[in-house]
Amino acid sequence: MIRTLVPRAASRATAKPFISSQIPSIQQPAFCLYTSRRRGYATEAAEHDLVIIGGGVAGYVAAIKAGQEGMKVACIEKRGALGGTCLNVGCIPSKSLLNNSHLYHQILHDTKKRGIDVGDVKLNLKQMMAAKNTSVDGLTKGVEFLFKKNKVEYIPGTGAFTGENEVKVNRIDGQEQTLRARNIIIATGSEATPFPGLSIDEKKVITSTGAIALEEVPKKMIVIGGGIIGLEMGSVWSRLGSEVTVVEFLGQIGGPGMDAEISKTTKKILEKQGMKFKLNTKVMEGDDSGDGVKLKVEAAKGGKEETLDADVVLVAIGRRPYTAGLGLENIGLEADNKGRLIIDEQYRTKLPHIRVIGDCTFGPMLAHKAEEEAVACIEYISKGFGHVNYNAIPSVMYTHPEVAWVGQNEAELKEQGIKYKNGTFPFSANSRAKTNLETEGMVKFLSDAETDRILGIHIVGPNAGEMIAEGVLAIEYGASSEDVARTSHAHPTLAEAFKEAAMATYSKAIHY
Amino acid sequence: MPAMSPTMTEGNIASWKVKEGDSFATGDVLLEIETDKAQMDVEAQEDGKLAKITQEAGAKGVKVGRRIAIVAEADDDLASLELPAEEPSQEASATSPEPSKSDTDAPKSLQKTATSSERTSPPPSTSPPQKQTYPLYPSIVQLLSENGLSKSDADKIPASGPKGRLLKGDVLSYLGNIKSAYSSEQSARISKLGHLDLSNAKPAPPKEAPKEAEPPSKDAAAAPQPEPVAEPDTEIAVPISLSSVLAVQKRIQDTLGVTLPLSTFIARAVELANDDLPLSAHSKPTADELFNDVLGLNKVSGARTSRGTYMPQITALPLAGFVDSSAPQSSSKLDVYDILTGQKPSAAAKKRAPVPPGPGIAIGANTGGATNLFSVSASKGEEKRAKSFLERVKTILQVEPGKLVL
Repeated sequence: MIRTLVPRAASRATAKPFISSQIPSIQQPAFCLYTSRRRGYATEAAEHDLVIIGGGVAGYVAAIKAGQEGMKVACIEKRGALGGTCLNVGCIPSKSLLNNSHLYHQILHDTKKRGIDVGDVKLNLKQMMAAKNTSVDGLTKGVEFLFKKNKVEYIPGTGAFTGENEVKVNRIDGQEQTLRARNIIIATGSEATPFPGLSIDEKKVITSTGAIALEEVPKKMIVIGGGIIGLEMGSVWSRLGSEVTVVEFLGQIGGPGMDAEISKTTKKILEKQGMKFKLNTKVMEGDDSGDGVKLKVEAAKGGKEETLDADVVLVAIGRRPYTAGLGLENIGLEADNKGRLIIDEQYRTKLPHIRVIGDCTFGPMLAHKAEEEAVACIEYISKGFGHVNYNAIPSVMYTHPEVAWVGQNEAELKEQGIKYKNGTFPFSANSRAKTNLETEGMVKFLSDAETDRILGIHIVGPNAGEMIAEGVLAIEYGASSEDVARTSHAHPTLAEAFKEAAMATYSKAIHY
Repeated sequence: MPAMSPTMTEGNIASWKVKEGDSFATGDVLLEIETDKAQMDVEAQEDGKLAKITQEAGAKGVKVGRRIAIVAEADDDLASLELPAEEPSQEASATSPEPSKSDTDAPKSLQKTATSSERTSPPPSTSPPQKQTYPLYPSIVQLLSENGLSKSDADKIPASGPKGRLLKGDVLSYLGNIKSAYSSEQSARISKLGHLDLSNAKPAPPKEAPKEAEPPSKDAAAAPQPEPVAEPDTEIAVPISLSSVLAVQKRIQDTLGVTLPLSTFIARAVELANDDLPLSAHSKPTADELFNDVLGLNKVSGARTSRGTYMPQITALPLAGFVDSSAPQSSSKLDVYDILTGQKPSAAAKKRAPVPPGPGIAIGANTGGATNLFSVSASKGEEKRAKSFLERVKTILQVEPGKLVL
């Protein structure tokens, strides 16, 4: 309270609304006519209501939303395809590979007991990659279509600030263009953090980008970093026949957000599938001069050294904001020590007409978080108010079985000294999971010991990623575990396990 | 003044769209409110009449919860109405229940939180009871029937959930099954989690640590010295003169007629000093820091800090050797601004007043010589953290106490 009382009052005043002056100009019907007449002169600096740098999930969603709100909006994207990391080299292609590699793995190992005799099963990696590319192309073209539908101007090229209201674009077609805008959104996203000492060539030493485009299945693969990206890509290649070892610095897989109990269960399941783990292990140095790659590792707390070798090393130690070449120094915008652009609660930088959303600023680096921010950010510009509930943003890991969670985990609640109740239900007691012969995993509820309000939901098991949507809704509405438990769930479904875990939290499960 | 967003503390009234005495229907725009962020309409929650406007259009900086108008039922006769007096305390009015419900003649003050605007985020935790327009949650229906309450009773229960929704915890609080404030406190905590955590937003070249306070005067040798190794828990103490605080307090009282208790100054100084303390030698690194450690980035980022939770023990220190550097006494009329910004009046008289020893805060017989010993206990490895906390309290209280009340 007092902190805000002391010196900052003055700087707040500078962040005055510019909304009142702006709304009328957006809504002038004459504006659209003006635009279409001027279309031919692309290099001339016609003023935009909004220019968005970056056509990834944050940028394209903001652009479409702005178009729907009637703004004259342009979106600059340097990749040559919309959708950013997520659509082109991230979530979407990896899910294609995850799904198809799972099918392959299942047909290979899991058909006999189900009563299906299969003849020769062969992997056609080329075709698997082609299927992936078809999905990606379809989706990025889809975004381009949505741009046209919502009258968003798409400018393929690289944008850089030349002034506070001016962005210069080096277009892919070789032309130069300067855009003037009343509002600018920076949505330039993130890139994989490189590992010091290993140079990434995307062939032997790869990031997630290379991991979705390998031309053959490596014999041995090491994944540095046991977070979500590392485990997903590790799963793909492990299913296709690689011998995969995951080296993780922390004592658990899945990153620090995953509940420890869920993480342990997941590790056991993945180990059964053939993945190997080295936890609490630090990679000291790497050598990629030979045919393969050699890594020197040692126990994180100091201990015996060991050399691992592999054909391919996947560096998946996290992502960092990407703002290079944006000309931020020309307008004096600041980043913090992790490269995240500094913003306030309304995504404004210290120049209030320039806002930042998505991976290049604070918060979890998730596509759906960026999407929420994009809509809220446009609403701040057009309506003066937007909202994202950061407590109700789900995390999903698309291994098999999937892992999903929302809200807080046990360690976080203990750290804050909050008393909670814990209710779990295993899929092995769920009828649908039994019939599907996929009984690994569980649903876990954490609710307040006094009010029964749901504080966190953690799932590892079949279809967890879809099931968590119900948990997010419950948290958004402030529901108690009893509320979920008293809501009918269809029989027989996996979602019944969700309901039974809620019952176990506030009273007792029926089927366990 | 309704809170249009969770962070709003005050607002300006841009214009009233309904005149005194006029009737309005649900959804009509009553007035326009302006904050530093935006301009927003306040819509009527139900049909009614505007009995009186107490904050006219153009009123600036009206605190949230403060009465801005009185509305009456649609069929009330305004001439025969007795208008309730303005509540004395602004805080109290935010949570005060609606005035006597004896009959329809009782006007209601316009204290509703902004439930009309669905775009707003969760309302402040302590919303007054309100009509539940959403279907009740299953757990609530169950609890109500188990306790012999009807569904209409739900409207009397203060709701703390998102957008004014009634939660199971609210009913449990209402029934007395759990502590009455628990549910709303929890909602406040959870709505905080809903916001982007920008507390760690620090520009890349780390700022320099706050200026070190000047070393304690020689007489401090008389005070118990921190003993770093000997005991597991070390008592660290620093003598701090409260005279400049007293001076400011007195001048505020003289000029504005408001008495600010000494405890307010100290509490605020403690609050400020607890910010960004160096970490103790034992604190475990966070996952982020470990990550940076792996990448070798830890040298780049600045000193690790975190918020402390120190609460100093205060004992009067009677040592006669203390000389106050600033014990100004002035009878001439002073500008409040000077006081608040900590500018020292020119005619500062040095005074010394021995004070009897004992617990409690020594404030001296007159404005001079009010030196107290501020002490905290620190476990091993934490001494540096505790020490820099105390030094900061000292700087704040001795050098610029006026800023604490700005």
